[in-house]
Amino acid sequence: MTDGMNRRKFLKVLGVTGGGAAAMAGCSTERVEKLIPYLVPLEDQIPGLATYYASTCRECPAGCGVYLRVREGRAVKVEGNPDHPVNRGRVCARGQASLQGTYNPDRIRGPMERTLTGTFAPITWEAAITRVVERLKGAPAGSLWFLTGNEGGSFDRLVRDWLSALGSSHAVTFEPFAYEALWQANRAVFGIDAIPSYRLGDAECLVSFGADFLETWLSPVEHARGFAAAHGYHDGRMGRYVHVEPRLSMTAMSADEWIAPVPGTEGVLALAMAHVIVNHHLERAPADAVQLRGLLQPYEPDQVAGRTGVPAETVHRLAAEFAARPSLALPGGAGTQHRDAQLTAVAVNLLNYVAGNVGRTVVFEPAASGGNGSYVGVADLVAAARRNEIGVLFVHGANPAYATPPGLGVAEALAAVPFKVSFARCLDETAALADLVLPDHDPYEQWNDYTPRAGVRSLLQPVMQPVFDTRQTGDVLIDVARRMGGALGARFAGAAPEGGYKAYLQERWGELQRELADRRPFDEFWREAVQRGGVWRDLPASPVRVARDIALNPPTPTGGGRFTAIVYPSPTLYDGRGANRPWLQELPDPVTKVTWGTCVELHPDTASGLGLAEGDVVEVRSAAGAIEAPVYLYPGLRPDVVAVPLGQGHTAYGRYADGRGANALRLLGPEPAAFGGVVRYADVTVAATGAHVVLAKTEGKNRQLDRGIAQAVTVAGIAAGALEHKFHLPEAAPIPEREERILDEVARKQREATKYGPYAFETSRWGLAIDLAKCTGCSACVVACSAENNVPFVGEAQVARRREMQWIRIERYFEGGGPGEPLEARFVPMLCQQCGNAPCEPVCPVFATYHTPDGLNGQAYNRCVGTRYCSNNCPYKVRYFNWYDQSTPDDPRTFAWEEPLHWLLNPDVTVRSKGVMEKCTFCVQRIRGAQNEARVAGRDLADGDVVTACQQTCPADAIVFGNLTDAGSRVARLAADPRRYRVLESLNTQPAVTYLMKVRNLGGEA
Amino acid sequence: MATTMRPDAAPSPAHHHHPTYHEVTRDIAATLGHPKRGYFILFGFVLLVLAAGIVALLYQIRRGLGVAGYSPPVMWAVYVTTFVFWVGIAHSGTLISAILYLFRSAWRTSVYRTAEAMTVFAVMTAGLFPLIHLGRLWYAYWLFPYPNQRGLWVNFKSPLVWDVFAVSTYFTVSTLFLIVGLIPDVAAIRDRATGWRKKLYTITALGWRGADYQWRHYVKAYLYLAALATPLVLSVHSVVSWDFAMSIVPGWHATIFAPYFVAGAIYSGVAMVITLMVPLRKVFRLERYITVVHFENLSKLLLLTGMIVAYSYLVEYFIAWYGGNPIERATFWNRAFGDYWWASWTMILCNGALPWLLWFRKIRRSIPALFVLSLFVNLGMWFERYVIIVVSLSHEYEPYAMGNYTPTWVDWTILAGSFAWFFMWFLLFAKNFPTVSITEVKEIIPWPRRREVRA
Amino acid sequence: MSGHPGGVLAAFRHVDDAAQAIRDLRAKGFADVTAYTPVPNQEIAAAIGRQSSPVRLWTLLGGLTGLGLGLVMTLWMSLDYPIVVGGKPIPSVIPYIVIMFELTILCGALATITGLIVHAVRSRRPAAFDPRFTDDHIGVFVPCAPEGRGAVQQLLQAAGAEEVRIEA
Repeated sequence: MTDGMNRRKFLKVLGVTGGGAAAMAGCSTERVEKLIPYLVPLEDQIPGLATYYASTCRECPAGCGVYLRVREGRAVKVEGNPDHPVNRGRVCARGQASLQGTYNPDRIRGPMERTLTGTFAPITWEAAITRVVERLKGAPAGSLWFLTGNEGGSFDRLVRDWLSALGSSHAVTFEPFAYEALWQANRAVFGIDAIPSYRLGDAECLVSFGADFLETWLSPVEHARGFAAAHGYHDGRMGRYVHVEPRLSMTAMSADEWIAPVPGTEGVLALAMAHVIVNHHLERAPADAVQLRGLLQPYEPDQVAGRTGVPAETVHRLAAEFAARPSLALPGGAGTQHRDAQLTAVAVNLLNYVAGNVGRTVVFEPAASGGNGSYVGVADLVAAARRNEIGVLFVHGANPAYATPPGLGVAEALAAVPFKVSFARCLDETAALADLVLPDHDPYEQWNDYTPRAGVRSLLQPVMQPVFDTRQTGDVLIDVARRMGGALGARFAGAAPEGGYKAYLQERWGELQRELADRRPFDEFWREAVQRGGVWRDLPASPVRVARDIALNPPTPTGGGRFTAIVYPSPTLYDGRGANRPWLQELPDPVTKVTWGTCVELHPDTASGLGLAEGDVVEVRSAAGAIEAPVYLYPGLRPDVVAVPLGQGHTAYGRYADGRGANALRLLGPEPAAFGGVVRYADVTVAATGAHVVLAKTEGKNRQLDRGIAQAVTVAGIAAGALEHKFHLPEAAPIPEREERILDEVARKQREATKYGPYAFETSRWGLAIDLAKCTGCSACVVACSAENNVPFVGEAQVARRREMQWIRIERYFEGGGPGEPLEARFVPMLCQQCGNAPCEPVCPVFATYHTPDGLNGQAYNRCVGTRYCSNNCPYKVRYFNWYDQSTPDDPRTFAWEEPLHWLLNPDVTVRSKGVMEKCTFCVQRIRGAQNEARVAGRDLADGDVVTACQQTCPADAIVFGNLTDAGSRVARLAADPRRYRVLESLNTQPAVTYLMKVRNLGGEA
Repeated sequence: MATTMRPDAAPSPAHHHHPTYHEVTRDIAATLGHPKRGYFILFGFVLLVLAAGIVALLYQIRRGLGVAGYSPPVMWAVYVTTFVFWVGIAHSGTLISAILYLFRSAWRTSVYRTAEAMTVFAVMTAGLFPLIHLGRLWYAYWLFPYPNQRGLWVNFKSPLVWDVFAVSTYFTVSTLFLIVGLIPDVAAIRDRATGWRKKLYTITALGWRGADYQWRHYVKAYLYLAALATPLVLSVHSVVSWDFAMSIVPGWHATIFAPYFVAGAIYSGVAMVITLMVPLRKVFRLERYITVVHFENLSKLLLLTGMIVAYSYLVEYFIAWYGGNPIERATFWNRAFGDYWWASWTMILCNGALPWLLWFRKIRRSIPALFVLSLFVNLGMWFERYVIIVVSLSHEYEPYAMGNYTPTWVDWTILAGSFAWFFMWFLLFAKNFPTVSITEVKEIIPWPRRREVRA
Repeated sequence: MSGHPGGVLAAFRHVDDAAQAIRDLRAKGFADVTAYTPVPNQEIAAAIGRQSSPVRLWTLLGGLTGLGLGLVMTLWMSLDYPIVVGGKPIPSVIPYIVIMFELTILCGALATITGLIVHAVRSRRPAAFDPRFTDDHIGVFVPCAPEGRGAVQQLLQAAGAEEVRIEA
């Protein structure tokens, strides 16, 4: 971080140049093709050195704090903000890919209006704003609607102020994953209109009733951190995690036990557990828990066993464990939002209550403003539109035309709205229906703030000059207001004359400062906030008591179709907003490992029953509609369930998303459930279409053939000495003695040869340790690596030929799953092992790959002639070949950096050309960078000075990098951990990557 | 040359009724020049296929290796397969021309020239593939140790560099061997030819007259070339086999590879000799010089090497089982019963089973049967390399990274183009240089003498 | 034909005649008789009687040169720019043996050919020639002064030459 004075100069210049350029030319390209995209050089911009700016990730409502790494005025990498209370420096895969939204070639490059022919034509901002003003003047106040996503901050406030000043109150918030059931349940059970914060870190026993808390649920990165803390293995102790859901989600794959109840009965199961607790285990329960006995009476385990398909003894066992220790139960997520989702949430609240978790691991803070809105709101809006009550509709940050079940008829309804203004950044399905498109800045180009939860106010600041001729919506609204005059004009005349939205924002922050009783001058407060990325404080937990009058409406029986279809949120594409990010499209789904498309998950037995094989295209049909997609055989499902991810099947939204896969929402009915949300379960039939495709998946075999790639032990096993009996490795620095001599010799020669003097850290052996007990398979590291190392995406056809290029891949193996034995999934992040005896090195005829004195397995791209012998001889298969030229526009069919995506390229890393081999280098550019800094500072490298991209982003902190020869380093300690093993170590390749066995807590005394 | 050999030791055409020296010269010279329509049609077709291959290659260079069917982990496929195939073909040529020469086996004289020519052209074809399969073939010269401003040399520990040296040496030596053998024949033809051909042969005969002072050095030089070529031929395919044996790929990393590959090479080469010789003999009416006896001898060679190859197949599986290494076992199980079972069984059928027919004299002496058999062996030997390379790579250590491979039209076109390239050279050679050695055939025909030989 | 000293050229059909003729000529003191044969023939070679060819020396020296070259090149090049691969010693002689072997063969072969050319050219003597000698006749050429030609002609005819020609 540089100090704010300079940044403000910088931004002033940005404003000037940006404005000037905007006035000069509507089309952005000639402006940005300058090497250094700003006119006046700035004292805090040293070419070759990165500057970091704090901002907030807006890819999902979690609101993680991020740093933007800016080189020569262009943001090139997203990293977590270590101070930020939500994510503590870590970012998920979607956050890592957010810059591909900023630099998306399909971003709207300037304001557009619909012409008589129905197509869009560019217009000037002046004309566009005039057009809005005219329309507003003409429209009756009541007919004015504003639809936003979850803005949760000053912008939300602005919209409401703006509307009210215009005399309208029709501000609708639409967030596809709004967890309506959970809000309702909290109102019903605790009488609080809020979502609590779930302290996973304090829960020794965790039971998730369908919450995918490591994927999309509320705040995945925050949860991953807590989960790793509680469920990671620390000298003999670890938490226990049981997942209850008909499908084994990515989150569930980290569970010690997976219980697959009859679809829709998680709530009943939770109530049964609560029943057992209130009757037998009241140790930790609050005094008034006993009052619930009556309510829970009907849920005696033996009674409900039939309904849930879960034997009573299991319920008793779980209840006992749950009540015995600090525990936490999580209510269903967007993927288990079935008709009885509210019952699930209520049941889970009760369960947490009777187990005494409320106030301990379930902490209610004063409600956060805004909230997620509700599907009902959109339904109302559609109804209003149908009744022609909407004259002018503004849409910002929401895409209902895609993200609602087609049956709701958003598109038709909008057709009835005479004037629709979209502030979309990409031409998504909703923007495509608009009459006027006023593209907003990307979050990284704008001033804004966001409140992920009470007590946390997170800031966004422009980290660079806008890529295209866009304007911040806040500015546009205020501009409109000023021109409208009247009440509206008056409302915003106050805001600093020229300030626009930034001034409005600072007003809000002035209020905040007063609220915080901060006496400093505002500038100081503001500068510090901008530097840190916001302000946050811990709020006192508000005590809650269970309500007296709780009604448990009995669960609705399932039935109808042959199968229950579960439509779950995609861990990579979220609700579909990630679909135009090629990195996310090519990121293998953590569960199916399928890229670039939709697949229908079927249990292998079910599939063989239907005579279906993997890749057979099937039609899944429900009462609401049907989709066609290829089958993926997935053992992690109840045989009576099929699962389809959300996120694909766009009909607009740019080249990477449009027309890809199938939109699973077609299977869902439009009518909101009692709790006000979409029902994401559907009764369906599955029928073969006869078509067959080769799935573009990165997985070869899903069983490890007893080769010890992904090893695991149980807590009980460790206690019984399992680790003493395993084959032991030489201690750290696994280089053969002879080679060590040679390396020292070479190092000496190289030092003599170089005029730059010795490296700051001469005798190092870089190593990586990966704790499989923490790894959740979330794949954030994969995208982080691609972003750091300019790894190109190759597209569906190439992935189908297994030509994906990601330098680190998350291997997913299954264990067990046979009749009577539980199915277990294991993740192994596989990257170049930087072997001490690297088999890839001696076979290269031209020394393109060789051993560096600090123990890296070097790869000189420009020396490589492409014999690919190294890859044949690599037992880990972590070398990737450039089959085509991904790096030059000469070949548009394979060019991976379509302008302006190429602005993402990390200037510190070579962009590889056609015909050369590439692979993980342990982020050698970061190593050398840190070494240079150390040398300049005249000190030795300290442990933690070098942080690889994968380690930096890992939400679970499962990856540790460092110097193995430094006995004190974290990595050296981990490399000596009793759980350590190296993959295929019998080959004597002496990997520098140490894996720590996954540990499973099978319950019982452990 | 075979000066120490007594003519009667030769199971040669001379046995039945000696053609005179003049007849030999006449008959063999008659095979040259004046091609007919059939030749031009055939040649045109060959050029067409070659052109297709070149186009495919240019396309591949322009767009990248991706246009070929490669799918990781199968990083080597049809191209390396075809490289090994052609190198193998070359070997029998040297065996017949050099090794059998050292063994003084007389029957080789009338077949060795074709075999030697085949060797040279096969190596010329094989040599293309290490280039074609490179990701950046325009930098292929980096594989040679030449002084450069990077101050960097090549990695002599890499089997691929051994390949560079072995194959280029092999090409040089076998070409020299062919040319040296040709000189006296060319001189003989020169003294018969007319017109532009006379000029051509006058130049290529390098002033050969068959004078005693020429023969004196010639005979020795030829002998030592043969003596050098013999260990060379054994080394070349050993080195080629080490491209695989030196790696840690299960299914490659085996000590039997060198002898196994050498035997396989000669096996495939002999088959190719038969394939070429049968039509050649018909078209050129050389029945008098290339007789059933020659084919029977060739087929005995085929039988011997075929048995060695079959044995190696068995031993590979046996070792995989006996060694007990689960990964090795899995590889061979996959080879026999995995997704590529058809390729493996094609190879076992063609190379391991069919040659057993050669135990029957009838088959050995039936030229049509041998011809058909030789085609099967050629096919089988190509598949052998395909199985060793592709199938082993598709099923290595890392289960998650296992995967299969299917060639594309580019692979196939370039493969076809390589055959065209080979046959183009062979056709050119056959019409312009004697495909049967005039001099060496004469050698096994006793000189007319006035008095009886004094014992 | 010109460019050669005058003399007598004879063509024989029978190898024993030719050999006998050569022996007689040499007995009469004609040292540099040139014999042409379509194929190498030991009887003729013996009759001409020259010691064995020095070509093999070329082969030997060439081979040794190649061996040394291979050794020096591989060792020096790997020491000149030392790079560690796969934890193997920087100069690893065993893998280099392959290179040394191939270079031995290569240089040996090239030297042999050079030797052949050098000696064949150096020992070349101008003499008359007839195309039949590459086909099915044995040629014998005796350079001699015009006055001696009659005797030689008679000798050759007596030896059974099919044709004897005075070459001016």
